[in-house]
Parts: sequence; C-alpha cells; structure tokens
Amino acid sequence: MRLIARFAKENKNNFEIIDVFDKEVKKHFLDKNNPKIKTLTKKYPAAIWMERKIRDEFGIEFEESFDNRPAIKHERFPKDIYPLRKDFKDKKIEFSKFTPYKYEEISGDSVFTVPVGPIHAGIIEPGHFHFSQAGEEILHLEVRHFYKYRAIEKMMENKNPLEITKIISRISGNESIAYQKAYFNILSKASGFEISENLNKTHAILLEIERIIHHLTDLGFIPNDAGFAAALAYMGKLAEEARRIFKKVTNHRFGFDAIFNNEFDFSSLNNFLDYLKNEIKFFENWIEDIPSVWDRFDTTGRLTKEKAIKYGVVGVGARASGIKIDTRDNDFYKKYGFEIQLGEKGEVADRFRVRIKEIYNSIEIIKNMLDVKKEEFEFSVKDGEYMSFVESSIGELFMYLNIVDGKTDRFYVRDPSHINWQAFHTTIYKDIIADFPLINKSFDLSYAGNDL
Amino acid sequence: MLRFWEKRIKTGIVTENLEFDKEFEEIKKEIKDKIKKHFAGSLAVRMVDSGSCNACEAECNALSNPYYDLERLGIHFVASPRHADILLVSGVMTFNMYHHVWDAYKQMPNPKWVITLGDCAKDLGVFEKTYAIKGIDLPVDYHIPGCPPSPKKIMREFLNFLKTTSIS
Repeated sequence: MRLIARFAKENKNNFEIIDVFDKEVKKHFLDKNNPKIKTLTKKYPAAIWMERKIRDEFGIEFEESFDNRPAIKHERFPKDIYPLRKDFKDKKIEFSKFTPYKYEEISGDSVFTVPVGPIHAGIIEPGHFHFSQAGEEILHLEVRHFYKYRAIEKMMENKNPLEITKIISRISGNESIAYQKAYFNILSKASGFEISENLNKTHAILLEIERIIHHLTDLGFIPNDAGFAAALAYMGKLAEEARRIFKKVTNHRFGFDAIFNNEFDFSSLNNFLDYLKNEIKFFENWIEDIPSVWDRFDTTGRLTKEKAIKYGVVGVGARASGIKIDTRDNDFYKKYGFEIQLGEKGEVADRFRVRIKEIYNSIEIIKNMLDVKKEEFEFSVKDGEYMSFVESSIGELFMYLNIVDGKTDRFYVRDPSHINWQAFHTTIYKDIIADFPLINKSFDLSYAGNDL
Repeated sequence: MLRFWEKRIKTGIVTENLEFDKEFEEIKKEIKDKIKKHFAGSLAVRMVDSGSCNACEAECNALSNPYYDLERLGIHFVASPRHADILLVSGVMTFNMYHHVWDAYKQMPNPKWVITLGDCAKDLGVFEKTYAIKGIDLPVDYHIPGCPPSPKKIMREFLNFLKTTSIS
C-alpha cells in the first residue's frame, strides 16, 4: 500500500488521525487527555513530516518515532501552543526564546556542512538546505521547510465552503488550476451532483495548459542551471507565449479563480498548440545534440525505483523512475489520448525527457477535447466528509474537507511536493554540490504548497 | 548548429515594450545626477519572498525572458542584499520568515528602499490574518499592486518609482 497522507482533526470528544492509503482510509480515535498513537514512519518514511506537523499543531505524540523535532515551530515559535486545536483562537502570537534546531549532520575527518537558505541567491521561494560535504561530494542533505507556513488550514476553518475559493486559487501559484479542480470536485460531491463529461473536459483543458506552462518553464531552467542559457531564452519565450494564451483563455495569466468564474475563450488554442508542437520538436532535436548538457544530466540526481516506492513519490519524479503513477491514468483521460510517460533511471535526464514527452501528450489531449460547450453549475453543499485527487503539474494532489453545520470544520491538502521533498535527499548522495540547483529544478517542487 | 542559427535569424528580436526605452532615456536625463550618485548608473534589486504563492516570483522571472528583457533598462536582480538598492518583497510575511526578511533588509547598504510586490504584501490580499502571519512592517517606500502584477506592470511601476522617488 502507498501512503498518501496522515493528518489529524479535532472532534468534540476525541482527536482523530486519518491515514489515507491508495487502497483504503483508516481512522484512529485518540483520548484527548493523553493523545498518542503508533508511528507510521518505520514503514513509510514520508510520514515523518506529516507526523512532525501533527505533533506541532495538535500536541499528539507518536510512539516509537525516531524524529521528534519540530517542523512548523521554528526557532522562535512558541513551543507550548497547539494552534490547530479548536480552543486555540489567537490571531497573534509573540516570538519566544530562540531554541536552536538540531540539523541532521554528518561529522568526521574533513567533513563540513554548507547551510543554504532560507533566502536564496535567485528569485525563488524560501527554504533551507543543509549539506554535509566531503570536498565536492555531498554526503547528506537535510531539507528544512515551513518558512512560508501561513496556517492555511486554520484560515479555512468556520467559513462558508463557497466563500474560500479565492484562497484555494492562491495556495500554490503554479498549481492553481489543480487546487481549484480538487476543490470543485469536493464541492460537487458535497452538493450531490455528478460533474458532466463536458465540464470535466473543460477543466482538463485548463489543467493541461497549466502543466504545459510548468514544463516549459522547467525545460528552460534545467539546462540553464547546467550552463546552457540559450535554452532558457528559447523556453522563456515559449512559456511567455503560453501564459499569454492562458490569459486569453481564462482572463488571468495563472488562471486564478478561472474554474469558478467559468468564463472561457478557447478560440486561439488550436493554432497555438500546432505552433507549440513544432517549436518543441525543434527544441528536442537541438538540445539532444548538445553533449555538454547531457554530460551534466546523465547519472545526476538519481531517484532509484526502490526509494521512490518506499517514499511513495508521485508525479514527474516517480514517472521518470519508471513508476506507473498518474491520477489521469483512467478511462476518461485515456479516451482523449492520455498515455502515461515514463523514464527509466530516474536521473535529471529522465525527468527532463519525461517533461518533453508530457507536453506532446498534453497537446494531444487538449486538441481532442476542444469541442466543449459552456455549462452552468450551482452548489448547495451538505454536511459530510469529502476527498478528491487531481494530477497537478507536480504530481498527485490530495484534498480533504469536512463540513459541519454548513461550515468548514477541517480543510486539509497534501501537495505532491510534501511527499517528494522528503525523498529528495536520497537523490543526491555523492553528486557534487554544483549539481544541486540542477537536481532541484528537475523536480521543481512547490514550497508554498508544502508549507501551507 | 546551423539549424539553430537559421532559427535564430528567422525569429529575430522579440523584445516588446520599447516605449519603455524611450521613457527611460527621458527619465535618465532627469535623474541623471541622482542615478550617477546613488545607483552608479543602474538599479540593483534584491527580491525576497516572505510567504507568497510563488506567482509573483514567476512573473519576476518572466521579466528576464526575451519579451521583456528588463536588464536592458539597467534594472537587474542581484544575488545578495549587500549589492542591492531595493528590497523587493512579495508575500504576507510569515511568522517563520520575519527575522530572515529583516536580516536581509539590515544587510543592505544605505541609501535603500523597500518595494512591496503583489496585493498580499500590502494588506494580505485574499488571505486572512492568522497566528502564522505577521504582515510586512518594513519601512515601505512603494507598492506594486496586482495578484500577481504582470511583468509589464512591474516594469511600468519600476520606472514610476524612479520618477517619483526623491533621494535625500
């Protein structure tokens, strides 16, 4: 079984831990006076950050856990508060005494550490990377996040579920459509209506455009980090053109609020996709002939199939390691030309090529769906628990909503990055530190979606 | 390689918004002395994300694509706050980023300015105050609205900032 998420919620008389696997959902109820449960981390290492987050936010202990360090509670965060409990209502907290964080470090003769971040040299989101080095070689890396922790989950509580769509749109800018689609699916389930094929197609088109733009950006930045700047100029141009088309389609360059505004203009899409396909073909031929690029891409940042399965890695990262995992792998998408795109070795080169192949496939999917018509919808939500899964441009996105008395009682979302970040350190052992930006960009994970 | 050069020549130069060049020439004349004295002929921007959704960062990255080519105006993004004239801050300023953003600001040499980027940097935009959000309390000199502001809008606002800001 693959672990998708472990998260907590508070009920009137107990705490509840919800474990979501690909085949089943398990629930555990814990005594409020002494909340504790057995850890999952020994079998599922990706549960580490999930459990650390639960401990910080709910004060629930995990028995036999080997990593009890704080996650969201950084050095100056008050230690004695459990902000996701229902009785915590403060909108403002004070900084507490500075408590140093114990990094995972390797010590020994001529081994040294290189701390990088949270603020990085480029235009990029904040996060900390802690390297243990032996000369140029990386021995270990600890990825530390939650600098962007905005408490989105708490922000969503006690709201009318129909009035938080603007926030949903803006949790992670690169995956806005995926978040909107996941939430749309939840609202339709809560309203008891089946989404029509026509509406699903409309949303799928938007999702594929978002994926294309994300891939285009990465196809420029990955070679750029290997010192091949011409690719960035080429792909920067294409990504900009795609964004302008997205603006024509949704009236927003990132498609914010698009699914709920429901106003689309697909008229310019077909011609653009033909043009894009040719441009990608040219790019592919061109870059396949540049040996210095492949010298950097091959054998770099290898995510082995075994590790990927152990961590439950999703999205491009998993597919490039040869794992058949894609939320779109279903009858609906297959009918419109979806084919899963796989790599072999899980190296930077594989992730690069999977992205190129997925652009071709996304173009085909969109072209087969373009006969969509405008369709109205209306929600009237009923109380209950709802879940949904969407394949974002990074990977499988999982969303959960519990509605009580017409209000949001608990909102949770597990960004694909939350899992993939945790497997990241396995990919760089004995690579050189200069390869780190390259490997990082080849996964291109979200910080905002992970931190919430 | 020949294929590449053929493509290169066929594509030509795609850079747009050339009206900005003209405008910038005029501004340059106006504030020539100021720029010479304080900005050494160019404007160095250090961007810091204090808790955004990453869309503002994507638009700033777009500024260096061939359509915008911001650096031709002498405005460029630098890697260290110690090289910067301007701190460009996006996001809601989270509790966990607060001290880091202030550290970056303190590292900048005088004279220095703070520009906030995007709606949520000003009044949280669509977000609401939670315990994990501090809000930006840096001495802000200029604000660029939008969610996110488009690259063209950011360019226009940079020029506007240069025009309207007085240097003591």
